[in-house]
Amino acid sequence: MVTLGLIASVIVGSRNLQNFDGALVAYLFGTIFACFGIVYRYVVWLQRPPTWRYWVRGWQLFFSGKMLIYGWELAKHFFNDFLCQKFIYHRGTKRWIAHLSLVIGCVMAFAVTIPLTWGWIHFGLKQGTIDTYEAYLWGFKTMEFPLHTWIAFNIFHILDWCSVLVIIGVTFMMRRRLTDAGQIAIQTFEGDWLPLILLLAISVTGLGLTWDYEFMQGKAHQFMAISHAISVILFLIWLPFGKFFHLFQRPAQLGVAIYRKEGEIGEQAICPHTEQPFASKLHINDLKEVTKELGFNYELQDGTSHLDLSPQGKRAALAKAHLAARKKSGSYFG
Amino acid sequence: MAILPVSAERLIEQFGPHKNYPSPEGYPGRDEPDKVVKTHCCFCGMQCGIQLLVKNNQIVGFEPWEEFPFNQGRLCPKGVQRYLQNNHPDRLLHPLERVEGEGFRPATWDRAMERTTSEIRRIQQKYGPHSFAMLSGVSLTNEKSYLVGKFARVALKTKNLDYNGRLCMVSAGAGNKKAFGLDRASNNFTDLVHAEVIIICGTNVSETFPTLTHWIWQARDNGAKLIVVDPRLTPIARTADLHLPIRPGRDSALYGAMLHQLVENDWLDHEFIKNHTSGFDQSIEAVKGYDLDWAERTTGIAKEKIQLAAEWWGKAKTSFLLHARGIEHQSKGVENVSACINLVLATGRIGKPYCGYATITGQGNGQGGREHGHKCDQLPGNRDIENMEHRQYISQVWGISEPEMPGKGLTAYEILEAIHRGEIKGLLSICFNPLVSLPNSNMVREALEKLEFYACIDFFLNETARHADIVLAGSLHEEEDGTVTTAEGRVVRIRECITPPGEARTDTSILLELAKRLGEEKRFTYPNNEAIFNELRVASKGGTADYFGITYEKIEKNMGIFWPCPSLDHPGTPRLWEDHQFKTADKKAHFQSVPYREPAEITDAEYPIILTTGRVVSQYLSGTQTRRIGKLVDQYPEPLLEIHPHLAAKYNIRDRDLVRVVTRRGSAEFPAQLVETIREDTIFIPYHWPGRKSANQLTSGHLDPVSKIPEFKVSAARLEPVGRQAPPASQTDAYASA
Amino acid sequence: MNNTQFKTDQEFFMDPQRCIGCHACEMACAECETNGQTPMISVDYVDRFATTQTSVQICMHCEDPVCAKACPADAITKDEFGIVHSANVARCVACSNCVLACPFGVPKKVEPMQLMMKCNMCYDRTSAGKKPMCATVCPSGALWYGKREDIEKARPNSTAVNSFQFGKQAVKTKVNIMMPKGSTQLVVD
Repeated sequence: MVTLGLIASVIVGSRNLQNFDGALVAYLFGTIFACFGIVYRYVVWLQRPPTWRYWVRGWQLFFSGKMLIYGWELAKHFFNDFLCQKFIYHRGTKRWIAHLSLVIGCVMAFAVTIPLTWGWIHFGLKQGTIDTYEAYLWGFKTMEFPLHTWIAFNIFHILDWCSVLVIIGVTFMMRRRLTDAGQIAIQTFEGDWLPLILLLAISVTGLGLTWDYEFMQGKAHQFMAISHAISVILFLIWLPFGKFFHLFQRPAQLGVAIYRKEGEIGEQAICPHTEQPFASKLHINDLKEVTKELGFNYELQDGTSHLDLSPQGKRAALAKAHLAARKKSGSYFG
Repeated sequence: MAILPVSAERLIEQFGPHKNYPSPEGYPGRDEPDKVVKTHCCFCGMQCGIQLLVKNNQIVGFEPWEEFPFNQGRLCPKGVQRYLQNNHPDRLLHPLERVEGEGFRPATWDRAMERTTSEIRRIQQKYGPHSFAMLSGVSLTNEKSYLVGKFARVALKTKNLDYNGRLCMVSAGAGNKKAFGLDRASNNFTDLVHAEVIIICGTNVSETFPTLTHWIWQARDNGAKLIVVDPRLTPIARTADLHLPIRPGRDSALYGAMLHQLVENDWLDHEFIKNHTSGFDQSIEAVKGYDLDWAERTTGIAKEKIQLAAEWWGKAKTSFLLHARGIEHQSKGVENVSACINLVLATGRIGKPYCGYATITGQGNGQGGREHGHKCDQLPGNRDIENMEHRQYISQVWGISEPEMPGKGLTAYEILEAIHRGEIKGLLSICFNPLVSLPNSNMVREALEKLEFYACIDFFLNETARHADIVLAGSLHEEEDGTVTTAEGRVVRIRECITPPGEARTDTSILLELAKRLGEEKRFTYPNNEAIFNELRVASKGGTADYFGITYEKIEKNMGIFWPCPSLDHPGTPRLWEDHQFKTADKKAHFQSVPYREPAEITDAEYPIILTTGRVVSQYLSGTQTRRIGKLVDQYPEPLLEIHPHLAAKYNIRDRDLVRVVTRRGSAEFPAQLVETIREDTIFIPYHWPGRKSANQLTSGHLDPVSKIPEFKVSAARLEPVGRQAPPASQTDAYASA
Repeated sequence: MNNTQFKTDQEFFMDPQRCIGCHACEMACAECETNGQTPMISVDYVDRFATTQTSVQICMHCEDPVCAKACPADAITKDEFGIVHSANVARCVACSNCVLACPFGVPKKVEPMQLMMKCNMCYDRTSAGKKPMCATVCPSGALWYGKREDIEKARPNSTAVNSFQFGKQAVKTKVNIMMPKGSTQLVVD
């Protein structure tokens, strides 16, 4: 459905394919496939009990009448987590630089290429001039700029800047994956290397296109264009399955933020062992239901639940049970 | 000299202690080290094997050394974190000179050396050679220990040299010498494995020697019964078969009563007593009246428990008795040790497999360090400085004439007392932080303030060194080659992994340079540290601690050699006394008569509570090293006053209430920790912290008459609740308390 | 994954009564490469007022890991050796479901990183045929890694058990706990 919607929007956005650039048709099919894959994957993902619980809770809370509180909370998280990516900063400065370069590069590139592909944006010479360009969005003129200026230069080369950023990010990341023993131990090719290789391929071939027509008079255009197209399409196909899916999962972090805010405002769960609050009552109650849906039942003899204990309380409970078992056997040691 | 040049707070700001943490991603280069060096931990007497990872002349991490036979890779948290001393921001990178009102400023080596030697000359000319004292420590290798002994006697020409082993196991050493004529653990720890009964006396093994736990657990897996004598339910006592919660300072009463029980029930090895011991009759005569009721009254332990302990010990076929500072840090430390040895000798269970006895030596080289001559009454090879034959032998090795050899000097605490009295005017110290580790620290501080000149060799500016005129930037454990002797008597190799950073120098080169400037270059020239060891081998030859047959190569090949090892083809001696030929004059083991006497300070109406002190697992001794390692500090950030809830109720003290503890020496405030794991008449404070947080402001300077060990473990105290809760530990920064 | 040398004949065994609370495991864990200075082990006093007993907990690597199932982001996976891995850093949304659902109290949320981390049995070491850091350094054998026959021989009074009962829920784990001889299950309720 969403995919059909997309196709329709492409048709409308490009004024009945009037503004559609035929050279980009392969990309179009790639994006349509990716869209279908992503939506499909997203729906499957949402059907998992814990995910569904968060999804529903997130929207419930958002529309619960405390929109101002949550709106502010969301704005804060959007700024910290998505714009500044502070949480990655805390994982390591180099990782932060790498990820941020990658994100800026990719987001800018998407912002340019996808509308281009779908014909939502196109450029044309202003009628009656030879040195002023006009940019159209959904067929509406949105801006014009003179040629041979730095604005024009940057607009035409924006993808090159994106490529440079992506290459910087990927280089940092690849270096880490080659030298960090911990990463080497747990990484997989398809999960960790393939995405980096694809990004690198897209960026290098993309830069290659520019290189080709600036310095090689287009001699290698065909090769560059094809290799670029292949890498982009592979990337689009891989988008719903591999690591890139996190782009679509990540916004769930905002839902979690609302959920946590609600938990903070509401009643707290007090651990019977530590006698300290350790989570929100809402969360513990939801979790009791979710784990039941998943086939786990932590109800105890006395009607309480093992999940009423904080992590520390659970660890103590285990140690105490073990001590009791040892004691029953006649020796604390064995 | 005099009071601190600037406030302690300002010195702390500049020189620490600061907490060192590795970066979240660890030190770079850990994955691809330049070299992986097999060496040992720098801390306790277990001397666990460890591999240090070196990159660009820095220690960047560690890797367990699973082949080393004692610990097989096992470590305690201090061992795991030891590598963080390297790369430490507090590390002294050049010599320092005291500047009044400013603190310390960097000095050139030439200036620092010149100043030190000229002050030594001035003081010795003015007040006599013995007015300049030297204090040393047994975190030093055998080579350095030996060198310090020689340096003090030959270059400094003072008799007043003593060491921090005086606060460690000298009572055990003295007791062992009396009984066996030799001072070493009679057995290595593998003899624990099939012991039927293990008694551990006054030793919190689980916190002070964690890696020894494995050997005790192995014995228990094989069916051993574990008896723990401790006023507190320590982690190792928690699961023990029998815990005897003794009233501090009453140990010899317990062992006397147990000996009495052995006699009453005839759990004795008459054959062994007759053929291989002397003094048995006198020793049982001394404990004649020590029946169970008396023992219960005296020790505070239920008599059934005492009887059971005696029965288990009496009937066992194999056994191992271990003790440590709990019984040794007393004004009758030697008597406590002798009373333990009496139990071993009465049952004849020594010199056989799984029949063992040992003190668990505390410091890294507590064993080797006390054998090779930086003890005030001793010369290398565990020789006696007052024995003419021994003096002559060592004088000849050192190339001096016997009359030039100084005699017996004062012990560590007595040296500080002599400084306080104004008899000693100058001091050189290395590897010792007496302001934190000696008892009665108010007196120690006053003494330091009276010194005319004080030079200190250390790698960090420890609390005592703040009083110095000159600080000589020395070396870490991993910056010099050498050997140490573990608590088992195993001589192991310490390896140089890196060179000292900045202008810091190796301790050895500093001592050699000082000796040279004192005009003794001839006797203090060695091509390398191995040459010092080779001289030590010769010096120890024929002594009881005979290292002559031990070489670096042999140690490396065998991962350690147990002394005595008198010749190159000798394999070493992991278990002593298999021939029952003791090193006493009559070749017999000597029972000692140990009539019970009270500790020096007993409780009264004014000071009604017994204060005892000890350690925690995350800190080591005076904390110069471990109070600078972030995670170790955070694990146990401040000293807590352990108090039983019943006692606390009497004073209306709740958990984390601030309580002032007052003794005849001073007072200090600590947060209360209410625990049912301590005797109701006893409070406990760990001692690793400095300044206002130091437990040693309270402890007493009463010394054992023989070993001169101070009575850290028993003081009379009173409690004064301050009337408020203590601030969170994170706010008090006890690790750097002024 | 680089797991060619994972030794399938070696297992993890824990015995909380042998724990002396020294925290060596915790410090050593932070030296492990996969978790970069964040220790994945928890050592706590059970009730310091009454006893010196400590609890020590590594991940038990459940056969049916509730942490993975309760994860809304699909971030936790179990591999062919039965190792339940730490959260995938790209996916984890730091919701704490796993932290609160785990019956053993193992996963930790590292707040500033917005990431759950948990013990992966020192995958960098075990996958290279080495022992996990914690079990290598543990001075008291509370954490032990090696062959089942070796520990059975060394500890004749104990039986290795990998079955737990938390109220109505039975849990089977890859990691074993040493119980009195003849035990089949540890019941926690």
